[in-house]
Amino acid sequence: MQLSKKTNIAAKLATATCVLLGSTQPQAETTASEDWQFDTAILYYGETDRVSLVEGVVSATKDFGDDHVFNGKITYDGLTGASATGAVAQNEVQTFSRPSGKGGYQVAANTTPLDDTFRDSRVQLNANWSQPLGSDMAGGAGVHLSKEYDYLSVGLNGNLAFDFNQKNTTLSVGASFQYDQIDPVGGKPVGLSSMPVRPYSEYDHDNDDDESDSEISDDFYDSAFAAQYREREKSEDKNTVDALVGVTQVINRRTVMQLNYGLSIADGYLNDPYKLLSVVDTSGVTQDIVFEERPDSRTKHNVFWQTKYAMDNGVADVSYRYMQDDWDIQSHTIESRLRFNVGESGYIQPHLRYYQQGAAEFYRPFLMADEALPEYASADYRLGEMTAYTVGIKYGQKRANGHDWAVRLEYYQQNPENAGFTEPEALQRQDLYPSIKAMILQFNYSF
Amino acid sequence: MKQKMRLALLAIAVSQAVGCASLGVQPWERDLLAKEEMSLNAEGVDLSLDDHIYFSKEATSGGRGFAGGGCGCN
Amino acid sequence: MRFLLIASLLFSCTLLASTETKLAPDFPLSSAFQDTKEIRSLSDLRGKVVYLDFWASWCVPCRRSFPWMNAMHRKYADQDLVIIAINLDQEPDLAQQFLSEQPAAFHIEYNSSGSLAEAYELRGMPSSYLIDKSGAIRVAHTGFFKAKQERYEAQIRALLAE
Repeated sequence: MQLSKKTNIAAKLATATCVLLGSTQPQAETTASEDWQFDTAILYYGETDRVSLVEGVVSATKDFGDDHVFNGKITYDGLTGASATGAVAQNEVQTFSRPSGKGGYQVAANTTPLDDTFRDSRVQLNANWSQPLGSDMAGGAGVHLSKEYDYLSVGLNGNLAFDFNQKNTTLSVGASFQYDQIDPVGGKPVGLSSMPVRPYSEYDHDNDDDESDSEISDDFYDSAFAAQYREREKSEDKNTVDALVGVTQVINRRTVMQLNYGLSIADGYLNDPYKLLSVVDTSGVTQDIVFEERPDSRTKHNVFWQTKYAMDNGVADVSYRYMQDDWDIQSHTIESRLRFNVGESGYIQPHLRYYQQGAAEFYRPFLMADEALPEYASADYRLGEMTAYTVGIKYGQKRANGHDWAVRLEYYQQNPENAGFTEPEALQRQDLYPSIKAMILQFNYSF
Repeated sequence: MKQKMRLALLAIAVSQAVGCASLGVQPWERDLLAKEEMSLNAEGVDLSLDDHIYFSKEATSGGRGFAGGGCGCN
Repeated sequence: MRFLLIASLLFSCTLLASTETKLAPDFPLSSAFQDTKEIRSLSDLRGKVVYLDFWASWCVPCRRSFPWMNAMHRKYADQDLVIIAINLDQEPDLAQQFLSEQPAAFHIEYNSSGSLAEAYELRGMPSSYLIDKSGAIRVAHTGFFKAKQERYEAQIRALLAE
């Protein structure tokens, strides 16, 4: 899923870890029967004035006997709306070129530049197999495939779990490998080069998905402007390797804890080809717009700790995650879900999440025209300093016949912060760090 | 250097956890742990959807695992 | 010749997958069990083969083992096989709910304190012990696997044949 509406490197890296961590590995213990068990969900995510997403998942699980379990999952998501490009607002109208070059768009004065060119949809398939490998060992393997307009991702993962102390302690290890191919619309821009600009014409397209070239005049194709797009690399790729080591420990009759260490190494094209930076003079007026450039490798370490406690009528779940990488980003995540059983088969579950991250070393909200261009720079706020909160509530019913349903409503707010950059005069009058507010609504049904 | 310290501390913590034979319960005392909602994989679809949202909007990804805990049967 | 004799004896012994043979810890049986008034405890069942199973409502493989135990009861009860399934639930309601969904033709005993499980040094759930006609534990299984059902049955037959 790419909530930026364009390829989002973080999202793709995340998919690898998601698969590795067995998010598609079902809990075989709960299915006594050997029929197919289906879990479905539909989710709506909407940001105020920005991106909207609809995502649907169908997951099918079957135990082929003695905990030999297969899980297959299909996910579809469709994205619309606009997302921030990274350029800064100005007190006059700005014109930007669409990623394909086949058109442009204008941004009103004193408004954060958003690019609403794309509507995008993605399909993902996952398949996983898990089985015991001995009296105190189990293992699993899986594959995944994901495709969207400008992005293809394929991956493999495997894991082993070892039980000790009468299964009070479980040690798990896992690894995954993922290959991604990115075909940016308009080709891959040269990092930190200027965004080509041309005046509007009647052949401008509103939608860069539109593959029909018949309406574009010959002038476009012959121009030096178009040549800049033709000369670009069409395709880039990236490899990601993830490894995870973890310990799960039963503490007492009511408590289980988990502690994991994860390592992720990504190599290749890590840029977001659609993100921009404004180059401003000392008074804050934009002189040029350039494309971003990120390093071609990233190593992340994370530590995750979780506790689940069984109350008499519910479950308390608290977790903490710390991440640190070689882009100098550090983050903390604290999350809690409290489930209260109500009535005969219902439950209500409030959810709270707090997230804080520091800026990447090469994060720049804007560049200064009188300074030399750095080697790497990005104004993508998702690499900047920010704090985010989620507050949500879920209600569901678990029926004895296995037909469970649930509904979840959440509010997610991101507050990007100034990581210590002095703003020139004109930019001080702009909101360079607007908050992003989103609602999430989800329905689940299992049968 | 600071990173190596952290990793070393983590390795020690893990080895302590594995060696902790005093923690835990008898096999027949896992009734509460066996409940579906106590599984580390509970609400897997929700967790997976949430992970996608947060990884697309933030700079961090991953962390969770799902092995262990539960009924401890077979 | 002697070597062959010893080898064949050893071979037939391995069929029974024996651990060290020790006497099964005795325990009282509930009054509902009694066919006749003389059977008060496990040791009163000497002369019969006892399949002793430990289960709980929250144990999914137990759900898979009940149909098999019912089949074994039907097949071998008149050949002196006695199946006793000891429930270890801490809440008796849950055991009753399980039994209403998965009825048992064999005998159920209740041990919510887990004292019997401790006496039998239970290693995992579910666990089963095959006790021969002299009251010794000959086989101990941890877990229930459909793939091993035939082997479990062969072990019962071997002990019944003694």
